[in-house]
Amino acid sequence: MNKSEVMIETVDLQKYFKDLHVLKGINTKVTRSEVVAVMGPSGSGKSTFLRCLNRMEEPTSGHIYVEGIDIMAPYIDINKVRTEIGMVFQSFNLFPHLNAIENIKLAPMHVRKISDKEATERGMELLDKVGLVEKALAYPEQLSGGQQQRIAIARALAMQPQIMFFDEPTSALDPEMIGEVLDVMRRMAKEGMTMIVVSHEMGFIKEAAGRILFMADGVIVEEGTPDEIFNNSQHQRTQDFLSKIL
Amino acid sequence: MNSTHELKDNQTHRFVRTHPMWFKIIRKPAFVGVTFLLLVVFALLLPAREAATPAVLYTSISFFLLLILFWSANVLSDSKQPEAVKMIVSLLLIGVLCWLFYNYSGAQWDKLADFFFNWGKLTGSWRVLFRGLGVTLLLAAISAVGTIFFGLAVAILRQFKSDTLNFFLKVYVDIFRSIPMIVVMVVLFFALPYAGISLGSIVSTVLALSLGYGAYAAESFRAGIEAVHSGQIEAARSLGLSRWQTIRMIIMPQAVPVVIPPLTGNLVAMLKETAVASVVAAPELLKRARELYTSKTNPTPLVAAAIIYLVVLVPLVRIVNMLEKRVKLK
Repeated sequence: MNKSEVMIETVDLQKYFKDLHVLKGINTKVTRSEVVAVMGPSGSGKSTFLRCLNRMEEPTSGHIYVEGIDIMAPYIDINKVRTEIGMVFQSFNLFPHLNAIENIKLAPMHVRKISDKEATERGMELLDKVGLVEKALAYPEQLSGGQQQRIAIARALAMQPQIMFFDEPTSALDPEMIGEVLDVMRRMAKEGMTMIVVSHEMGFIKEAAGRILFMADGVIVEEGTPDEIFNNSQHQRTQDFLSKIL
Repeated sequence: MNSTHELKDNQTHRFVRTHPMWFKIIRKPAFVGVTFLLLVVFALLLPAREAATPAVLYTSISFFLLLILFWSANVLSDSKQPEAVKMIVSLLLIGVLCWLFYNYSGAQWDKLADFFFNWGKLTGSWRVLFRGLGVTLLLAAISAVGTIFFGLAVAILRQFKSDTLNFFLKVYVDIFRSIPMIVVMVVLFFALPYAGISLGSIVSTVLALSLGYGAYAAESFRAGIEAVHSGQIEAARSLGLSRWQTIRMIIMPQAVPVVIPPLTGNLVAMLKETAVASVVAAPELLKRARELYTSKTNPTPLVAAAIIYLVVLVPLVRIVNMLEKRVKLK
């Protein structure tokens, strides 16, 4: 596996919601094992950008290449593309009628078609990884927000994705629970997972992200390493925004 | 220093509720008791229907009615009275009203009893009625399956969000929610034979009820499905689950508990509605009762049928109520 292999590339990605031009031509590349943080004021299109990448939102035009294949092409089975991309949501979205381990093994069993036994074993390993083995049989409503989000990460990882998307994974959490979720994400980054993270967690971004995309008004205003963006930003928009959240 | 204290009885304070003197008097047990006795005396003194001129009769009865309504209102609106007392007073009020109606309405009670409550005429008819009930329950059971089938099918097809499909589904739902069931039944039974399709009374009934209540059930199912948070669907699709897998494994398990109370309500209403099958001569309970009414030249069988409907449906209605409460508690 080539370290600089391009995992995702977008070419002139555009998205309209009716007359609202949300993404005005996004061009970027994410290489294997890269951790990319997407920052920007609310309404800048960062969540829409992320959701377009696995076509949870249908882009209006442009191209998205995943592992070199244009997933906008009509012959693409988007469900197969999505098995390669894990997604973690702001509001966790665990399935409330299933307990933790059932949440985790559902997709591997019914999409990957692996056996219940194998899925359970693999699921328990993942629960161990996120530190929640003892909660395997707990239902989402019995878990704290931080625990739910860690289960949601384990659920996404159970599909053994090549890429992980995080859409503001800590925004709905109480402050004391943010750490436990970021710890899990930090470990994933160290293990070489390719990650795109929409987040404003400065500590995490400084430590784990290789690159920051700063978005405003549907375009990437500026990109660079955390050091370049935080300490040496070239754009007024970026500086204004950072001065507000720091 | 103690910063809180309870007010003693009779202590005045600007926070204490005050009532005018007359209000305090009418709420006293002595007043309630004495006025009750006076009302009993009044009732005994009421003239018989034939003994008085209409003017005297109606004035005295109206006055009596007014007084007992005031008296009951005084007791029932007193929050200090225990519920048991309120129940007794309510029953007493209903009893007195019935007694007045019985004595002064001028109804021909003996004829009424002879027509509608002539239980002697029913000997040997109960078996026929119960066989009718069997047909009613059978119709309802088959139609229930049909209702769930049509309702679920429409609700699931709607999830595919195809504009063309939605148009036709909406047309179906709107048409069958607008046409009275009895009309659908009559069309199916009396008109279709001219188009070369003879369905028979049972099939027409089942089809009409299934299509009609299916349209209602579709709306219930849709409400249930829409109650599932959109994030659930996103999470499922992001894991690579197909649309159908998402419906089957994520949406349905969450929607069904929400749908069960309104759906059971629909089905109970449908069981009641099977009575309209009597117009297309399906041999169900009401049809049987009407046949007996004709053959015995006495409408008591209709009253018996009403009682049977009541005995079957009241428990079902209670069950629906319980289901609704249970879902709310969740």
